[in-house]
Amino acid sequence: MKRQRILALVKLQVKALIRVPTTLFIILLLPIALTLTMGLAFGSIVVENYGWTNQTGSIFDFMVPGLFAISALFMAMPVALSFSEDREQGLLKRINTTPMTAIEFMGSHVISNMCMAIIQVIIVGIISFLLGYRPDGAIAGITLAFVFMMVFSLSSIGFGLLTATIAKNPKAAGGIVWIFMFPQQMLASGLYPLPPETQLIGMFMPLYYVSDALTLLFNGVALGNLRIWWDLIILIMFSLVIFIGGIILFKKYGKA
Amino acid sequence: MLKSKSKNNNLTFGSDNPNAIEVIDLRKIYSGKNVIKEVKAVDGISFSINKGEIFGLLGPNGAGKTTTINILCGLINQTEGDAFVGGYNVKKDLNKIKELIGVCPQEAAVYKFLNAKENIEFFGNLHLVKKEKINERTDRFLDLLGLLDASNRKAKSYSGGMLRQLNLIVALISDPPIIFLDEPTVGMDPRVRRTTWKFIGSLKEQNKTIILTTHYIEEAEALCDRVAIIDYGKLIEIGQPKELIDKYNAKDLEEVFMKITGRRILEGF
Repeated sequence: MKRQRILALVKLQVKALIRVPTTLFIILLLPIALTLTMGLAFGSIVVENYGWTNQTGSIFDFMVPGLFAISALFMAMPVALSFSEDREQGLLKRINTTPMTAIEFMGSHVISNMCMAIIQVIIVGIISFLLGYRPDGAIAGITLAFVFMMVFSLSSIGFGLLTATIAKNPKAAGGIVWIFMFPQQMLASGLYPLPPETQLIGMFMPLYYVSDALTLLFNGVALGNLRIWWDLIILIMFSLVIFIGGIILFKKYGKA
Repeated sequence: MLKSKSKNNNLTFGSDNPNAIEVIDLRKIYSGKNVIKEVKAVDGISFSINKGEIFGLLGPNGAGKTTTINILCGLINQTEGDAFVGGYNVKKDLNKIKELIGVCPQEAAVYKFLNAKENIEFFGNLHLVKKEKINERTDRFLDLLGLLDASNRKAKSYSGGMLRQLNLIVALISDPPIIFLDEPTVGMDPRVRRTTWKFIGSLKEQNKTIILTTHYIEEAEALCDRVAIIDYGKLIEIGQPKELIDKYNAKDLEEVFMKITGRRILEGF
């Protein structure tokens, strides 16, 4: 692993974030818009015994953990678009003729996407706070939330790679990525209460475990609670399978 | 295995063989479930290229030129046969080959949201070139090709010809001893094409080995020490341009191709 190569690719991702409007919109503006919309729409509606936590608060308070998770899920989109675009323009082939190894290439994508996940957590956190949300967790719990988001970013890269494998071009990728994103948003984000049988479907999606753990962490549940750690273990397994599966399938079917 | 240093830099060839590239009975056949009819993209070609030589692969679109280059760069695997680049086997020593080569692909493969200098720097970093060397070479190459004034503009604002020139510079940033140029001047206007030819010609003075695919007759005649004429994946003639023109009593390589195949190069299939 050569630092010069990894830094070059991370720097490239940062420049893409700043200069490519689509990336900037998805990574930064979409989470801002989503959090603001939900906050303004549901911040003043107070309910009792809401959701599985059975607590009292505004509907927005219950939505915030899911909003964090959904923001990180959005990263699948720029990953899918950039891989399809780079493939279409021959850039992946060109990089493949340089001495850069596959581990360095994917490693730099992981680093840059984890950094973006952290930025998203901070953005959603600040806006939620400004809209009146006050998490009930200790510093250690909030730190663990960052870990969950970083692990989940692996899944997002994997979903992006799977999309780029299926899609023939960037336009198609922009549509296909919703196959992976939409069901998770609807069934696994925990934005609203779901019937138990529907919730069961959500348990087969990695987003469920981020949303579940963040809800616990932001509601002051102690770190000793095993459910948090089970969430983390299952999320790591999900993320590794999706990430590695994405790499293998893209390498086999998506490069051409 | 004996090793020799390339004259231009510290990159090491795999053997003291005078050939920079050796291709032996190379075949690439596309077949399988998704292919309606078996396609022999490369059909048993053999040739060798001396160090410091500019070697042209000449033929119509679909003749197998790019497939041959893609095999030599390790982008695709051959079905049969052997190929050596810098003394290294493309199937076994690809990582070593990648340190020796610079590749200018057919499409302008540069990042459009970066400017010329940033693109060159990015690919220089992938080759682990030192910052000072990247800066020195970048300014020199951009100046030689007349791109210096536009070097801080994003590549998306470049004309097709400028993008192709940048594409060429990116291939040279690591100062590679072996350079693959796949249709490097396609789409350039005549003035830019001539500047680019002059630039490619200057690389020969630095003892670079260049393998160039083209379907431009003037390009092959102006630049190449030797050419291999390829058609339907087969090598149908090889030699110095003048030697081939004399042999077939033709006025140029186009006529040579026509006398052998009965077709014009630009007609293709």
